[in-house]
Amino acid sequence: MSNNLFWIVPIASVLALGFAWYFFKKLMAEDEGTDRMKEIAQHVRTGAMAYLTQQYKVVTIVFAVLTALFALMAFGGYQNGFVWFAFLTGGFFSGLAGFFGMKTATYASARTANAAQKSLNKGLQVAFRSGAVMGLVVVGLALLDIALWFIVLTALIPESDPGHKLVVITTTMLTFGMGASTQALFARVGGGIYTKAADVGADLVGKVEAGIPEDDPRNPATIADNVGDNVGDVAGMGADLYESYAGSVLATAALGAAAFMHQGDLQLKAVLAPMLIAAVGTLLSIVGIFAVRTKENATQKQLLGALGKGVDLSSLLIIILSWVILQVLGIPNVWGLWGSIVVGLLTGWLIGKETEYFTSEAYKPTRGIAASAETGPATVIISGIGTGMFSTAFPVLTIVVGTILAFLTAARFDMTDLSLGLYGIGIAAVGMLSTLGITLATDAYGPIADNAGGNAEMSGLGPEVRKRTDALDSLGNTTAATGKGFAIGSAALTALALLASYIEELKIGIVRIVENTGTFTFPNGLSLESVVDVSKLTLIDFMHNYDVHLMNPKVLMGMFIGSMMAFMFCGLTMNAVGRAAQSMVEEVRRQFREIKGIMEGETEPDYASCVAISTKGAQREMLIPSLLAIAAPILTGLIFGVAGVMGLLTGGLAAGFVLAVFMANAGGSWDNAKKYIESGAHGGKGSEAHKAAVTGDTVGDPFKDTSGPSLNILIKLMSMVSIVMAGLTVAFSLL
Amino acid sequence: MKRYLYLSLTPESLIASMLPPLEFGKYLAVGTKKRTHGEAIFFQVDPTFKSDHFPFKDVDERCQPHPDGSPKRSLYLSVYRVVEHVPNDALQNLFLVTDDGRVLELQKQKYINTDSSLLHLYQELGPVMPQIASSLDPLTFCRFVTDRKNPISVPRLIFVELVLEELANNPTDGSAENLPYANIDHLRDCLIDLQQNTEKRTKTVLRCFHRDILYRTIKNGFFVGDQKAFNFYPFPSNMELEEKHHNWWRSALTVGF
Repeated sequence: MSNNLFWIVPIASVLALGFAWYFFKKLMAEDEGTDRMKEIAQHVRTGAMAYLTQQYKVVTIVFAVLTALFALMAFGGYQNGFVWFAFLTGGFFSGLAGFFGMKTATYASARTANAAQKSLNKGLQVAFRSGAVMGLVVVGLALLDIALWFIVLTALIPESDPGHKLVVITTTMLTFGMGASTQALFARVGGGIYTKAADVGADLVGKVEAGIPEDDPRNPATIADNVGDNVGDVAGMGADLYESYAGSVLATAALGAAAFMHQGDLQLKAVLAPMLIAAVGTLLSIVGIFAVRTKENATQKQLLGALGKGVDLSSLLIIILSWVILQVLGIPNVWGLWGSIVVGLLTGWLIGKETEYFTSEAYKPTRGIAASAETGPATVIISGIGTGMFSTAFPVLTIVVGTILAFLTAARFDMTDLSLGLYGIGIAAVGMLSTLGITLATDAYGPIADNAGGNAEMSGLGPEVRKRTDALDSLGNTTAATGKGFAIGSAALTALALLASYIEELKIGIVRIVENTGTFTFPNGLSLESVVDVSKLTLIDFMHNYDVHLMNPKVLMGMFIGSMMAFMFCGLTMNAVGRAAQSMVEEVRRQFREIKGIMEGETEPDYASCVAISTKGAQREMLIPSLLAIAAPILTGLIFGVAGVMGLLTGGLAAGFVLAVFMANAGGSWDNAKKYIESGAHGGKGSEAHKAAVTGDTVGDPFKDTSGPSLNILIKLMSMVSIVMAGLTVAFSLL
Repeated sequence: MKRYLYLSLTPESLIASMLPPLEFGKYLAVGTKKRTHGEAIFFQVDPTFKSDHFPFKDVDERCQPHPDGSPKRSLYLSVYRVVEHVPNDALQNLFLVTDDGRVLELQKQKYINTDSSLLHLYQELGPVMPQIASSLDPLTFCRFVTDRKNPISVPRLIFVELVLEELANNPTDGSAENLPYANIDHLRDCLIDLQQNTEKRTKTVLRCFHRDILYRTIKNGFFVGDQKAFNFYPFPSNMELEEKHHNWWRSALTVGF
């Protein structure tokens, strides 16, 4: 019966992709509007595709090198022979999701603007359903990849030790997450650098130097700015959440295989549970997407309510149906595991609300930053940093409480039952991400609405249309901010599950060594000579045998390196934005200087050259931080061994999560403090306070759109690299 | 090519040009090499206007197309004491230009005072440029400042009234939230002084205005007057700006620091 239930996963995947195709066809059937609207959309499309092509070229080289490395490791007996291929498929599917998502988004902007000519509801429908294409493609491809690998590995891996086969299958599948992670890292870091270089460049010369409003076609960087919204917020966010989604399902499956080892059919059920929850959540996301509609002349609150209705409906239904799934599977402690799912969903919802509280101009923290603008830019920076730092307390405590509750409910309130408890944490992450189809749709909707506003502006559509696209855009800003909080929270929970899965991967690595050499000796001197002995080791045994405790300097050094990685990574990406923006500023200045007739609107600026500069800058700048993120766990493992890697992952996760929340919230609150002042507070637009707030917003741009989001990937990628390299780490380490 | 005559307020000057008003405004704001930008305010002057004070004979001689056939963009005829020598009836439409060269045209209308505010804030634009708080309505203020019997006066005045929001009637406790003026406390003090000391009718808030006007702070419009004449150029409402002059308004709201 359990085997039959598995088929829900590929069916859900095909349905998700089918509906994505349906929404895409519906979108393409919409009219793109006037020739001018089409022309602008085409500029953005060409720029976005040029960026993606360039990014894929760089990523292909990196993938080729890593694949060769994994093949070599497999040849040397340090890794499963499937890993290199799993790695490639993970990267391929993640890249494909980004490609489809961005393609749709760039087709959607002009159509949304044109639909807004008819009505607000029509504009919302076109923009949201185009965002839904991204959401459904991400979950559809992730489930497809998971289902295909599960089928293939089940058929190919021999049944040696009962229970061991599923452990091998799930830990092998986990490695395709590294492909997704690597792709996501390049998408997030590259996209983040691109979008902010274009944005800052467009603003500094366009708005500040030439006094040109935003989205004015005379600004040479305006198309690059619009392209940036797509590559950063659509492709980057999509790849990030693809990885979290696949990572949480795979890590939980691996933890389930380990927790229920030697328990017969139960083990398969525990492996299938996260896949089924994700699959049913996908189907419910489709239901939720159809529930999103609003009435004409809706207020901002009603628009937000319309989106919320879809998300809430999906979440409510998954709460009910996940209980049914667990009940049908017949897993013991149904209520406890169901509790973990509910905890995961609540944790995601709560983190979104907390993000909204700290970044929305409707609440005290952001208004406090706006008030501090009255005393100049220095106090804006101080209060923004202070608020951002303080705000970390709430999501961190939410994750702490959520994790503990998920652990306790799954382990029947027995703190010593680590296996079940960790499985519960994984299940909570899956619960949080189960309705990603619709959650991501609301995230991807933001840049589509933003681009639609830009298209309406540049095409000179009427005031009524602009009012509607402005309302849609403003809603997109809110969903983008909460989406960032959700992405960070889910990354933290996924990384926790991956951390636990790392131990399972070590076990497989040791089994391989025992099979090849006949013996394996732990750092504490314990020698094992049979595969059965290794498979009997518990998680606590591993901690003990590898000396993973706080008095071990290798753990402490690893923690230092992990924490340092988070900060160094931020520093590298922030400086990258500065350098890339500088090139953009110089190019825009050059065009104003050398191309006659731009300001008169008689000559079209050279948009393509700005797109090319941002593309080149992003590709050049993303390489070093990305490669460092991959190299750090490998080198730490080779020097400090498993203990060092555990330290690295915990240090990286703890520091990276907190830093990511800080950067996203500080950046978001600076942005909205400026908007609050522009709405008429503290002297309004043009006042000294406004000037100070603009400084805060400019500082916050790379915080919230480049470094902060990239940290999500860093913490997951370091875990994934450690998992994939586990075989090498157990075989070699200097200390 | 047709020649035009303009009275510019940035700075006060009389200019002959072959550019029509919209192009002239763009030229004033962004120049020809596009390396400059800046707000501009100017009036179109009746082309038949003549005065011995200005060297009009130069116009025929020097305001000629360039050798490449392009129009002569500007021929400065005078750069000071211009306002006092151009009578009200010679002033035609007023043009407001944003930093990036968008131009809004305002037409003269008869002034009817419908404003019951107790206090006002005036930005003088020519011939001198102080910012003045006053208890006088625009017409009375104009007559007061151009009254040559006063120890301090000017022969003719161009000015604009700026918004005071709640401070206009309640300088002590009124909210100044959306007022972007520097040194709000000093402005409040000036207004309180005017409210309490009824003998006093004007107070200088700023001795010399030193930055562009934020168009969003214009209350009702621009005024040009002396002891006899009084021209009023009403500024459109926000709704009208949004609907009919969207590009200009968006540009006017863009603040470059």
